[in-house]
Amino acid sequence: MVKRSSVRIAKERLEALLVADRVHCKPKEYDLICHELYKTLSRYVEITKEDFQVSITRSAIHIQLTGEEH
Amino acid sequence: MGEVIVITSGKGGVGKTTTTANIGAGLSQLDKKVVIIDTDLGLRNLDVVMGLENLIVYNLVDVIEGKCRLKQALIRDRRYENLYLLPSAQTKDKTAVSPGQMQKLTEELREEYDFVLLDCPAGIEQGFENAVAGADRAFVVTTPEVSAIRDADRIIGLLESKHFKKMDLIINRIRIDMVKRGDMMSVDDVTEILSIPLLGTIPDDEQIVIGTNQGVPVIGMESFAGDAYSNICRRILGEEIPFLDLSKGQSFFSRLSNLFRKN
Repeated sequence: MVKRSSVRIAKERLEALLVADRVHCKPKEYDLICHELYKTLSRYVEITKEDFQVSITRSAIHIQLTGEEH
Repeated sequence: MGEVIVITSGKGGVGKTTTTANIGAGLSQLDKKVVIIDTDLGLRNLDVVMGLENLIVYNLVDVIEGKCRLKQALIRDRRYENLYLLPSAQTKDKTAVSPGQMQKLTEELREEYDFVLLDCPAGIEQGFENAVAGADRAFVVTTPEVSAIRDADRIIGLLESKHFKKMDLIINRIRIDMVKRGDMMSVDDVTEILSIPLLGTIPDDEQIVIGTNQGVPVIGMESFAGDAYSNICRRILGEEIPFLDLSKGQSFFSRLSNLFRKN
């Protein structure tokens, strides 16, 4: 049996905690924010879910579109 | 004009007071005139860590309330030339001091000292507001644990909202053996998450406990943590010191060569 490194668990938990702290929402709501942003943007820009990433830092919300050049 | 630096963390017990004591002692050894201030009203500790608890006559609240002159409350540390301590009060009234008063005090002290170091209480209440009020730079201390990093992120966010421009990270109590086997977040993991410049890393060192027992900063002792703190002090003064490669641990010979590099 492969033991999952506890650092990986720590980092995953931290990630969820920090996002929730930074935008004052629950982890579930973060998923909702991402989804809504995706929905809105996809109305104007051709994107797929795989190319679309939202990251929340202390002072900004970054929306990243990767993959093909848009 | 001296620099006013607050040492803060959010979470308690991560090493703010030990860090304040050691950086204070270290900078004074490098010929800087330093005053360290305990801003934790009701729970004073810095005097005990420094081993100066028996020399207290007046404290921070006495100075603020005008019961004594500033000079009367400053305790000179005989072991270090140019190191002074302004102890906190052991009274319970946390509202005895206001941010404005702290600002005035630090302005006065920076006229005469090269460094004014403020040991911030845990939490984000009034004590935190007081400690950061007069500071132009912050050292955020954390340990590689989820709760400590979460609180550090919160503190950094609060400082950013106060338009703090200079913030540096100190990661305390790193255990290399645990990092190696994937059971402790590494320096890189923590700096990536908190994304402020790294000032130094302190290995988990039992010498810290021994030093605290005796009321002696480890910076004077031959120890890993002492070396790490002295590196931090030299970085504060603008020297470029490479970070100790904690992943390798330190062999006797690399310690020896570090020793020579200092001279």
